[in-house]
Amino acid sequence: MSLSQQDLDPDSTTDMEDVTDAEEELIKKCEEMWKDMEECQNKLSLVGTETLTDSNAQLSLLIMQVKCLTSELSQWRKETPEMIPLKEEVLVALGKEEFQKLRGDLELVLSTIQSRNEKLKEDLEREQKWLDEQQQILESLSVLHNELKHPVVTFSESRIFNQLKTKMRDIKEYKEKILVTLGEFLEDHFPLPDRNVKKKKKNIQESTAQLITLHEILEILLNRLFDVPHDPYVKISGSFWPPYIELLLRNGIALRHPEDPTRIRLEAFHQ
Amino acid sequence: MSVLRPLDKLPGLNTATILLVGTDDVLLQQLAGSMLKEDCASELKVHLAKSLPLPSDVNRPRIDLIVFVVNLHSQHSLRNVEESLHHVDSTFFLGKVSFLATGAGQESHCSVHRNTVVKLAHTYRSPLLFCDLEVEGFRTTMAQRLVRMLQICAGHVPGVSALNLLSLLRSTENPSLEDL
Repeated sequence: MSLSQQDLDPDSTTDMEDVTDAEEELIKKCEEMWKDMEECQNKLSLVGTETLTDSNAQLSLLIMQVKCLTSELSQWRKETPEMIPLKEEVLVALGKEEFQKLRGDLELVLSTIQSRNEKLKEDLEREQKWLDEQQQILESLSVLHNELKHPVVTFSESRIFNQLKTKMRDIKEYKEKILVTLGEFLEDHFPLPDRNVKKKKKNIQESTAQLITLHEILEILLNRLFDVPHDPYVKISGSFWPPYIELLLRNGIALRHPEDPTRIRLEAFHQ
Repeated sequence: MSVLRPLDKLPGLNTATILLVGTDDVLLQQLAGSMLKEDCASELKVHLAKSLPLPSDVNRPRIDLIVFVVNLHSQHSLRNVEESLHHVDSTFFLGKVSFLATGAGQESHCSVHRNTVVKLAHTYRSPLLFCDLEVEGFRTTMAQRLVRMLQICAGHVPGVSALNLLSLLRSTENPSLEDL
């Protein structure tokens, strides 16, 4: 077991070319150690072999481990660390090695930190851009907010009132104009039958009631429609001249009551 | 010799030798390749074997670490390893033997239960490593671990012996006191 603790590192110094005192010393030491090893090897080869079976494996292994560990422990306690001779060349060579290793490690660290730095810079830039965008959004939103909170009142109430009044006046005038035109039109084209026509046949019954003009009939129907919207029907009276009633019905301007033929109404053109 | 002994020869200068035992040739070759690619201060030698005992006429260097590779997909590899274990000297098990179980990634193909291998490693008081040797990344990592272990077992790391390593690897691997 002590073989495994032999330091094999000095072997690596054996391929230097210059033969100096320090090296000769080292080589001598190595050869001494090698001789020790050969002796130990000889002793070992005398020890027999034994194999394990599954049943006795654990126990025997554990016992062996205990023995070996205790002997290793005692060996460590006994042994004092052997130093390689502290000659200048040796120290320099060792020092160089150490420094090379250190340099390699530091370079690794440097490259890692540099790449991390770059990543952090990229992250920072990204976050900065995001922040700028957010601030712009915030600004525009606050401007909008202010605008909506205090709307600029560009009109006054009186002006709207006046506007409405003028509108109403205009509409009323228009209405008058249309009604006058309607009246003239009806007078021209739909006059009442002439009362002065001689009655040729005596057995024609004449209505005794006074006939009213078509204009008046229409007025009655119109008023009824707007006064009593749920029952816009007007009873046909004797003052309605029948041909005109027929005219209105046939042209779809008036409609009969579905159940009562003596009542008519004006068609609701406005609905 | 039919039984492998750990310290039967003098070591080669600055060399460390590992023996991989297992039935899967392809996997062993790949693992050996990954190990040889590793940066190492000592010279590495990898020997592959299907099973023990090894033919005795070959001039081989001193073996520093044996790794028994068990493929969880085949019962045959487990039995092969179990038989080979009988040809190893008991002193090898003081840290110079390790078990490696592969194929645990594909649960559906496993015919050997994980616990069987765990118990085997526990019986022989040796560390058990799990690795899917078919996956490149895992194989490289495992190769690095094995190289480190090999260096310690060959004595190239001053102050740490194979037995010390064994004690260090002990902590998380053993099952509870059920078996004792």
